[in-house]
Amino acid sequence: MKSRGSRGWGIVRVAFLAVLTLFTLLPMVWMLLTSLKTQFAASQYPPEWWPKNVTFEQYSLLLSPATETGRDFLRYMFNSVWVSLASTVLGVIVAVPAAYAFSRFRFPGRQLLFYSVLLRNMFPAVVFLMPLFILMRWLHLVNTEFSLILTYLTFGLPLSIWLLKGFYDNIPAQLEQAARMDGATRFQAFFQIVMPLSSPGIIATAIYSFILAWNEYLYALVFLNDKSKLTLPVGLQRFFTEYTTNWPGLMAASFITSVPVVVLFLILQKYFVRALTEGAVKA
Amino acid sequence: MSGTAAASRKRLVSREPGVLARMVRHRADYLYVAPALGVMLLVIGYPIYDTIYLSFFNTPPSLALEDKTFVGVDNYIRILTSDAFLEVTVNTLIWTAFSTFFAFVLGLGAALALDKQFVGRGLLRGILLIPYVISAVAAAYIWRWLYHTDFGVIGAIAVAAGLTDRPINFLDNTETSLGSLIVVNVWKEFSFAMIMMLAGLQTVPEQLHRAAQVDGAGVFQRFWHITMPHLKGVTLVTVLLLLVSNLNSFTIPWIMTAGGPAGSTDIWITAIYQLAFERIRFGISSAYSVIVFIVMMSMGYFYVRALTRRDGARYG
Repeated sequence: MKSRGSRGWGIVRVAFLAVLTLFTLLPMVWMLLTSLKTQFAASQYPPEWWPKNVTFEQYSLLLSPATETGRDFLRYMFNSVWVSLASTVLGVIVAVPAAYAFSRFRFPGRQLLFYSVLLRNMFPAVVFLMPLFILMRWLHLVNTEFSLILTYLTFGLPLSIWLLKGFYDNIPAQLEQAARMDGATRFQAFFQIVMPLSSPGIIATAIYSFILAWNEYLYALVFLNDKSKLTLPVGLQRFFTEYTTNWPGLMAASFITSVPVVVLFLILQKYFVRALTEGAVKA
Repeated sequence: MSGTAAASRKRLVSREPGVLARMVRHRADYLYVAPALGVMLLVIGYPIYDTIYLSFFNTPPSLALEDKTFVGVDNYIRILTSDAFLEVTVNTLIWTAFSTFFAFVLGLGAALALDKQFVGRGLLRGILLIPYVISAVAAAYIWRWLYHTDFGVIGAIAVAAGLTDRPINFLDNTETSLGSLIVVNVWKEFSFAMIMMLAGLQTVPEQLHRAAQVDGAGVFQRFWHITMPHLKGVTLVTVLLLLVSNLNSFTIPWIMTAGGPAGSTDIWITAIYQLAFERIRFGISSAYSVIVFIVMMSMGYFYVRALTRRDGARYG
C-alpha cells in the first residue's frame, strides 16, 4: 500500500492521533494528580505540576464508613449500583420479548409501533421532566429509587429493542421451526435456540443501559431530595456544594464515580461500540 | 345493503383480511410487546399528553396544580415574543452548531486515522472513548477545575507559555464562557462521532481503493470520490444524533455555569429547568418544552427516514 505522499500522510496521521490522545487524557490525568494532593498543595499558583507529597487522604475519607462524608458517599455508590442494575435487568426482561415480536411476528400496527419506539431517541428528556415529576408524586414514588428505575428502564428501551431486533432478524427462523418440529414449544425454542445466539445483543443492550443509568443526572436531580437516596452524579454535586474549596476531594470523588463504568466499558468495549453503532451503519 | 354485500364479498376475495380481524388473529403477538408498550405509554405517552395540556394553563408558583387557570395560547405568545427566548435560542444554536461541527470533524479525523490495522489500535480507540463513557457531572467538574480562575491549570499553562500575563477568567466572563463550555462538550462527545464513522468506514470496499490506487488516484481523491460517498448515510445519522443530543444538553452547562454569567450560557433545557424547578412555573415551562419538542420531532422525521431507507427491505 505504498504510494506517492503516503509517508507524509502517515506522519500527519500519527501527529493527529497523538494530539487527540493528549486532549483526551490530560484532563483525566490532572483529575488523578489533583486527587492525590493535599488541599493546600492543590491551591498553589503556579500549580504543583507533580504532587510532591502524594496522599490518599481524600480516598480514605470518601471510602471510609467511619466518617459521615464516607458514609454518605458509600451510600450514593450503593444507590447507583442498585438503580443501574435494577433498570438494566428489568430493561432486558422487557425488551427481549418486544424485540422478538417486532422481528418475527406480522401483527397490524407493528411498523407504527416500531417507529414510535425509534422516535423516542429524538425526544428531549425535558419534555418528560415536569409531567413525570407530577406522575411520580401522584404515584408516591418521588424520593424513591423506583422512580428512577422505571424512568431509566423506559429510556433505555428504544435502543435495546432496536438492537435486539437486529440480532433476531439475523437468526434464521428455520432454526426455531426445526426445533418446534422436534416437539419444542415456542418458549423452549426461544430459550434454547434464539437466546444463546442473541447473547451478544443482550450483553450490548445491558452494558449500554447500565452506563446510561449510572451517569444520568437530570431526573435524579428532580426526583430525589432525600440525602440517603441520591445516586452518584447528584451526590457529586452535593459534595461540591458542601466542600466548595476541596478540589482534591471532588476530583477523587469524580475518579471513583468514573472507575466502574470505565472498567466495564474497557472490558466490554466491543459490545458497547456495537450498541452505539448498530442500525446506523447497515450499508 | 348490496354495497355492504359487495364489500364483504370483496373482503373475502382479497387475500388481506381486515385490520381488526388480523389484530384478533395476532392477539397473542401483542402480549410480547405489551410490557414494553405499557411502561412506554406510562413514562412517555402520558407525559407528552400532560405537557401539552399544562402548556395552556397558568399555574401558581407552587405545586398546587389544581389552582391553575386556562389561558389558551398565552404562554406560547409570551415565550415567543420575549427577548430572553431570543437570547437563549441564539445561545442554543451557537452551542449546538459549534459542538456538532467540531465533534464531527474531530471524530471523522480520528476514524480515518484509526481505520488501519496497527498495534494498540483497540486500546487507543478505548482511551479516546473514555470521556464519552464517564458521567457528564464528573466531566463538568474536571473541566471546572481545569478552568479555575486562580488555580486552573489551563490558565497557568497559558501564562507559562507566554500567551497571557495573568490567568484567564474562562467561566466568569460573558465573552469566553460559552466557548469554554463548547470545548468541554466536544471533548465529551467527539468519540461518539469517531465510533460511528469508524463503523461506517468498514463498509467501504477495500477493492475500490486498490483499483483507484492502481489508476493513480491520490489519497485525497480516493477519500473524496470513494470514501465519502459510502459514508453519506452514516454521516447523516451521526450528525442528526449529535444535533439532537446537543439541543438537549443540560448537565455540562448546568454544572459548570448554571446558565451564567448574565445568561451567556443559558440554553433551552437549562432555561426550562429554571422555569420549572426554580421558579415553579409548570405552565409556561410546559409551553417551552412543547416548542423544543416540535423542533426535535421535525428532526426525528429525518432520523427515522435515514435509518429506515437503507433498511427498506427489512422494515418496509
